[in-house]
Amino acid sequence: MASDEVILETTEVDKSFGAVHAVRSVSWKVYRGRVNALVGDNGAGKSTLIKLISGALQPNSGGFRVHGEETRIGGPAGAFNLGIAAVYQDLALVENRDVVMNMFLGSELTRGPGAIFLDHKGMLQQAHNVLDDIHARIPNVREMVRNLSGGQRQAVAVGRALIRGGEIIIMDEPTAALGVEQTQEVLQLIDTLRGQGKTIILISHNIQQVFEIADYISVMFHGEMLGTRSRDEATEAEVVAMIMGKRSP
Amino acid sequence: MLGRLMQGERIISGRRRDHLLFLMDNGIYVVTVVLFIIFVFFAPFFFTQRNLVNILISASLAGIVTAGYTVAILAGQIDTSTQGVLAVATVTTALLFEEAGFSLPLTVIFALAAGIAAGLFNGLIVVNGKIVAFVATLATQGVMIAIALFLSGGQTITIAREGLQETVFIRVFGIPSSVWIMFLCYIVGWVMLTQTKLGAHIYATGADYRAALLSGVPVDRVIRVALVISALTAALTAILVTARAKQSALFGLAIAGSVDFVTALTAVLLGGFSLFGGVGRIERNLVAVLFLTILGNGLQLMDVPTGIILVVRGFALVFAVILSVLRARMS
Repeated sequence: MASDEVILETTEVDKSFGAVHAVRSVSWKVYRGRVNALVGDNGAGKSTLIKLISGALQPNSGGFRVHGEETRIGGPAGAFNLGIAAVYQDLALVENRDVVMNMFLGSELTRGPGAIFLDHKGMLQQAHNVLDDIHARIPNVREMVRNLSGGQRQAVAVGRALIRGGEIIIMDEPTAALGVEQTQEVLQLIDTLRGQGKTIILISHNIQQVFEIADYISVMFHGEMLGTRSRDEATEAEVVAMIMGKRSP
Repeated sequence: MLGRLMQGERIISGRRRDHLLFLMDNGIYVVTVVLFIIFVFFAPFFFTQRNLVNILISASLAGIVTAGYTVAILAGQIDTSTQGVLAVATVTTALLFEEAGFSLPLTVIFALAAGIAAGLFNGLIVVNGKIVAFVATLATQGVMIAIALFLSGGQTITIAREGLQETVFIRVFGIPSSVWIMFLCYIVGWVMLTQTKLGAHIYATGADYRAALLSGVPVDRVIRVALVISALTAALTAILVTARAKQSALFGLAIAGSVDFVTALTAVLLGGFSLFGGVGRIERNLVAVLFLTILGNGLQLMDVPTGIILVVRGFALVFAVILSVLRARMS
């Protein structure tokens, strides 16, 4: 799909932790408005690469291009400013707070002088809007997060990413702990986001699921990027072989 | 059923659990009213204007310290240094007013500043030293009491100079200022916790430190602020206690038996707060403080021996702890 536009690109990004060479000179293209799946075995370097992109880690060498411009991703706040928002595997939600407060945690709307007072009304309204946009089924946004299902939690975490202006949304194993029905809910959520022009980076272990939802499938092995296939030209057998370290011709 | 619950089994769920939690959280209102009515009938002189004002004064001293303590608990910090801050601030108040001849406003400012310094010191140990607040503040309390002992030479400082008690305990509409100050503390506390960004961050930091951190909440600053607020209210209480007794109350125990860490802790737990932070409403603590004060006052009027009253208060804490743990395991 040559017509697809690259929104984010890593160029020879390298990261070591002492003797462990976690990410080896990875050059990777992420396509705008697409679901870009990142697969690989445990320890292949997916999580490290994602942390580099979301600003949680800094690379030893190499660079990033976002929207075609050479840039540094200086910490999570810098990533937010570039429109990159990570939805962590454990979602980083506060169980004992309600949906609205979770969605705005760390980026609360305020009113009045000095940005001291919370704009409860504004947050409520915007939370409703965002959740409606992604067709989330959360009847009461004042509900505590602890009472939500896994799929609903994922929606809250994604909602938070959107509120922060996330254009590139990184989802780390979003269905790992979910049942069948909730997994479908999350896949639908990803599809909705794509329909709205958001770019998704999806880390997953589940090859079937990846083939079901992703547009591009990239495989990492021992810290290296083995290659990216568009879903239509790849076969499950080929991808599985790559995950096990077989470079395809 | 209680045994199984205490072992953390989830034997009730859904709506019934929510109802039970609601009852545990709000039962304090009912219990306080019932206790009040019982004492009206059975404790002589309980329902007199003089005694009711007395209850309010006692409650105000414990109430102010508990208000700040609540904020620390909400941020996930069990601040055990209350007695230390009380000691430093009471000695500061007495020394400056009585021996250095400072004006009252200046005395108050310095005593409060001592409280802020103590809170910053706690924050330094907890945040920069990365030491759990419960342990860190236990240690800093020792340091603070030692400083207070050193400053006072180990002596109780009697205040002969006029003006402290008369001004600090001035009556407004017949009710001493300390009571108004307490209500003010709770109003400010309620507004801060429910209506401001800082409040949202305090709840989030206490409920889930890591999630708050990843969401961009300045967690370290929040913890520092919470510890300073806690120490500040303790210092404010110390000024009032000193003014009321016209002498320094070195350990905060001699005259201010109701203004200690244990009362604050009991009130906080009875009020439905989690020891682990992030859960609770400050207005319930006000009721819990009133409950504990009424309990002590009523029993005293019924001529119950002090030892027994202390045992009852001890059991109140045990009960409050059990309640808190039950609540945590159910939710």
